[in-house]
Amino acid sequence: MPYNIAMVSDFFFPQPGGVESHIYQLSSKLIDRGHKVIIITHAYEDRTGIRYLTNGLKVYHVPFFVMYRASTFPTVFSFFPIFRNIAIREEIQIVHGHGSMSPFCHEAILHGRTMGLRTVFTDHSLFGFADAGSILTNKLLKFTMSDVDHVICVSHTCKENTVLRASLDPLMVSVIPNAVVAENFRPLYHPSYPSDFSTTSLPQHLGPHDTITIVVISRLFYNKGTDLLVAALPRILANNANVRFIIAGSGPKAIDLEQMLERNVLHDRVELLGPVRHEEVRDVMVRGHIYLHPSLTEAFGTVIVEAASCGLYVVCTQVGGIPEVLPGHMTVFAKPEEDDLVAATGRAIAELRANKVRTGDFHDQVKKMYSWTDVAKRTERVYDGISGALSEADFYGYEAADAASWSATRGRAGVQSFALIDRLKRYYGCGIWAGKLFCLCAVIDYIIFLLLELWAPRDAIDIARNWPKKVKQENLTADDSSFRR
Amino acid sequence: MLTTAPHLRTRRPSPTTVEYTVSTSPTLTLPLRLLLITTIIFRVLIGWSVLLILYSKYLLSNLAAATSTHNVQPETIVSIDYLYYILHLLHTSKPGQFATTLAALTPPTLLIPLSLVLLHILLQRPHTTETLLVLRGLGIQTSSSSASYLSSATTRFIPTEKVQDILVNEAFRGFEVRYYLVVVVEGEDDVVVVFPRLLPRRKVVESVWRGVRGCLWEEGRVGGLSAKGG
Repeated sequence: MPYNIAMVSDFFFPQPGGVESHIYQLSSKLIDRGHKVIIITHAYEDRTGIRYLTNGLKVYHVPFFVMYRASTFPTVFSFFPIFRNIAIREEIQIVHGHGSMSPFCHEAILHGRTMGLRTVFTDHSLFGFADAGSILTNKLLKFTMSDVDHVICVSHTCKENTVLRASLDPLMVSVIPNAVVAENFRPLYHPSYPSDFSTTSLPQHLGPHDTITIVVISRLFYNKGTDLLVAALPRILANNANVRFIIAGSGPKAIDLEQMLERNVLHDRVELLGPVRHEEVRDVMVRGHIYLHPSLTEAFGTVIVEAASCGLYVVCTQVGGIPEVLPGHMTVFAKPEEDDLVAATGRAIAELRANKVRTGDFHDQVKKMYSWTDVAKRTERVYDGISGALSEADFYGYEAADAASWSATRGRAGVQSFALIDRLKRYYGCGIWAGKLFCLCAVIDYIIFLLLELWAPRDAIDIARNWPKKVKQENLTADDSSFRR
Repeated sequence: MLTTAPHLRTRRPSPTTVEYTVSTSPTLTLPLRLLLITTIIFRVLIGWSVLLILYSKYLLSNLAAATSTHNVQPETIVSIDYLYYILHLLHTSKPGQFATTLAALTPPTLLIPLSLVLLHILLQRPHTTETLLVLRGLGIQTSSSSASYLSSATTRFIPTEKVQDILVNEAFRGFEVRYYLVVVVEGEDDVVVVFPRLLPRRKVVESVWRGVRGCLWEEGRVGGLSAKGG
């Protein structure tokens, strides 16, 4: 059954990033599966109005004020009128928000529930529990997550984190990992892509004295472990002869990295590339043999899948969702500390020199493990589950007999009820003060909804035309003649 | 009652000419005509009384001390003195005296803005009418009626060779997303929006788009394009 889906997030192209490409890839695969998908995001400098991307993917760049790192200013209700208009004109059934740092996404889920739409939320990041910023974000997350139909996380660690932060029922959280477009990350020599053979030389086995290149591609931020890299890099180079580094990326920690190079005079063995575009990442990766990923926190770590797909042996810290991402024979894990990272890198270099690792097979294995089509299929199953197309027992995987015992606010067949009183019950449980505040917000939202129905009635809103689907030739000619009439 | 939702009227005087009119004015029946005439009479009456009150206020103020001596009928009708005489008659008549008392009661800081706002409202046209005239081989002419009786309609003619394309687009407007018809003109940065004040609904916009393409260019091209677009 095809659905009309609205993906809502502050983060979308032209800004590069993981969430952005996730939304784009998932949407285009869902369109391939016959659904209608639109994307609602805020306006970027030169990207305003309503645009179409490949395959009829429609993007609404809503003119909103951008506050910090591409996030809009969080106003709880101001997005409602325009969101309602878009949802009605596109006949939206499912609102799918992305990214817990996006106010747009939270607002859309709240308003979507008020309008009686199914909502899904995808969490892409891990958060702490202790500092003030995290506490506020977690409270906000708890607010929107109190009344959402389903949550998707990109890894099991991310699921654990989200369940704890938002006090969710683990049964309503699914794990659907990210994927990569394997064709865009192909190794230098691979039999499936004969056009790549520019020279006749096939990959040689590494001898004990051949140069091994280690690639690091990451934004140079604290949470990406740049400090760890700065500490470990000189030691790795001192311990292993014939090793070179290529580091790509930019960020506030770039200056630390450069200072370290100056201090140790390592310019001949370390190449700094600065920022690289996403489509150039593959060309950088295939220059190396080992990919080093020193991140301190990571929900999924798409980049290590990309590296493995390029045929690189991966050395990474054992944090967040990283251990779930790749099978053991592709990775060497390290604790997120200097000594262990140096030791792990040393082990990886030794294994490569001993020809114990068959990096040539990585690409095909990754291609089998990760595909966006599979992600779209699994997401579609979530949509089926929340709209009641799948039975409760099928979707949640437990016996329907004890369904009533575990959630009092849940309506028929595992589907969240839209009744205002049930929604208020769910919000009320958020905390002593917060619960009442959230109830107030929900009630005001409902009143705004009623006012909007009067002020901008539904039948005064034009229903948008759908992007024409591919039809068979005989249908096309029949349509053609009807137009000529 | 005097206005309706914007609706489309098509006139096709010859096979190569079409005029699309989008208007808020309903079809004029006899009672509706009478009602319109009555409102116009009311408008004129209220307008004149506002002006009379303003004139009385002017006479009451010390600015008009020297001009209040036109109480004899001049010989010629076409003269400035005769105008002053009529004003004097009005001023001394019954409604004139009432206006004077009213003007004396209200302070000028209230009276002047109030009457300006009232005059502005009275000068508003009740209907908005926007037209698109298509002449094959010549071009298209857009026209949009003005908001008040003081100014005339704005008209723009675009010759066929300057018309690059005519298309239907969507855009954010206030808190909603609207469909609108645009003409892309060669050598201009901004597109020309057709029916800019009324912005009719999608059904109207699409039928006008089809019709304009069919009239301006040959019919065959329309079939191919609409199959692609629809």
